[in-house]
Amino acid sequence: MQEELAIEKRTVERFKIRTVLFHWTHTIAFLALIVTGLILFVPWFGAAAAGGATRVIHRIFAVLFVVLPVLYFPLNIKESIHFVKESLIGYDLSDLGWMMAAPDYYFGGDENKMPPQGHANTGQKMWQTVCILTYVLFLITGAIMWFLRGSVSPAVFQWSMLIHSVAFLLAFIMLFVHVYLGVLHPRMNESLKSMLDGKISPHYAKHHYGNWYDEISEGETKH
Amino acid sequence: MELNRRDFLKASAGTAGLALIQPLNLGKTASSSNGSSPQSELAMLVDVSKCVSCWYCYAACKQINNLPETVKPDTENPPPLAPDIWSTLYTTKINDRWRSRKQACMHCTDAACVKVCPTGALHYNELGFVQYDKLKCSGCGYCTQYCPFGVPKLESDPVSGAGSMDKCIFCISLVTEGKPTACAAACPVGAIKFGNCSELRTEGKQRVETLQQTNDQANFYGDSDVLGGLHVMYVLDESPEVYGLPKDPELPAPAVVHDIIQWVGIGAVAAIVAGFSLNYLVARMRMGLDERRKSYARRISDRKANR
Repeated sequence: MQEELAIEKRTVERFKIRTVLFHWTHTIAFLALIVTGLILFVPWFGAAAAGGATRVIHRIFAVLFVVLPVLYFPLNIKESIHFVKESLIGYDLSDLGWMMAAPDYYFGGDENKMPPQGHANTGQKMWQTVCILTYVLFLITGAIMWFLRGSVSPAVFQWSMLIHSVAFLLAFIMLFVHVYLGVLHPRMNESLKSMLDGKISPHYAKHHYGNWYDEISEGETKH
Repeated sequence: MELNRRDFLKASAGTAGLALIQPLNLGKTASSSNGSSPQSELAMLVDVSKCVSCWYCYAACKQINNLPETVKPDTENPPPLAPDIWSTLYTTKINDRWRSRKQACMHCTDAACVKVCPTGALHYNELGFVQYDKLKCSGCGYCTQYCPFGVPKLESDPVSGAGSMDKCIFCISLVTEGKPTACAAACPVGAIKFGNCSELRTEGKQRVETLQQTNDQANFYGDSDVLGGLHVMYVLDESPEVYGLPKDPELPAPAVVHDIIQWVGIGAVAAIVAGFSLNYLVARMRMGLDERRKSYARRISDRKANR
């Protein structure tokens, strides 16, 4: 009992502060890109693009959006490599268990029925995968539309535009899910906090990321 | 004929000289035109079999639209359409003879450029021609990439992308005054005709029939089934491809798919907002007030403990 209370008082580092900073600067860039891009995507907002000022804003934040991850990667190399690996090849059969249990869990069901997760749960991994995939798609198709209009065939430009839109839609929908779960969902009450000061309670870690919590606890006892 | 024409072109010291001839010619044709009623659909018919590559249409376009003279037009090396070249000749050598097709905006009834223009800068005017509002243009360049004929032109700053598109405006101020387009008025051989759309269509098809008696390649281009009907139609004496025209011009597929994606996106966002609202209510209810109080109390105690 004494020991449990002691654990409860500690906090667990979920993200480094540099990761938090990266997250929010990248968020600002993406939000600016969404606003200046959405007006071309939704037919009713098109008039806002008249004159082309929004394109200049779009390009400035596009550079930021592309450059930030490149700058961040070497600053946090171990986690970054893990992030990419986990997002691209980090899926196995256990993710199926999460997906089966998720609907009930997110609709307020018994959390003990949820299989324990690593540092990122299956849903978060899927969001990471979408982030990496759409980053690459935005970069390639955006570069074609920015630098190669007239140099590539009209068909290449047209399909680039379409893929840019599809990538946007995918990222935008997943962003909705991400923001809802991170900020509003009643069960994820420490999620936003973890992206502000990088820390969560051991209780939250144990209940949301059981496998990861075991891992870091083991590490601690070893040291 | 060929030689005489060339010599004349040289003698006239380029387009500056040609331009001087235009006002006379323009006035003459305008007054003699039948003055089609404003309600009737207007159009142009270009008969390439009559074209003598004199470049009068090019010069007239430059003059009437106040576009700078930057290059000397040359049949063997014709200037392509550009922000300051709204009408040019597409030339090709057939059987050792240079042949030309007057090339400018087709003013499609169902125009791809209007469809993809995000700001509404490109639109149809009351006469059905494709107009644009330069102040509304964002310089995105979609029109330049979606037009099946590659007509709209845009030169933008490589970094900022600043720029706005330009193309033929069907001499809208002349046409609304009941006058013909400058290029039609300038054509000395009647290869460019301006008038009632259906009459020109009939005339063009008749001309094709005549040509077909000796040339089975002759064809009519831009009928009412092409992009809703082109307001610039052609009598061609070779297949469209020979004159740099797509055989079956149509709205590019990505534009159609994009329309679907837009509505999928709007629908998906609406569904998600509804789904999350439901999820929020159900999850709160099932998790129970008690549990929330407990977790709230725990967070407070955590915070106190951290201090």
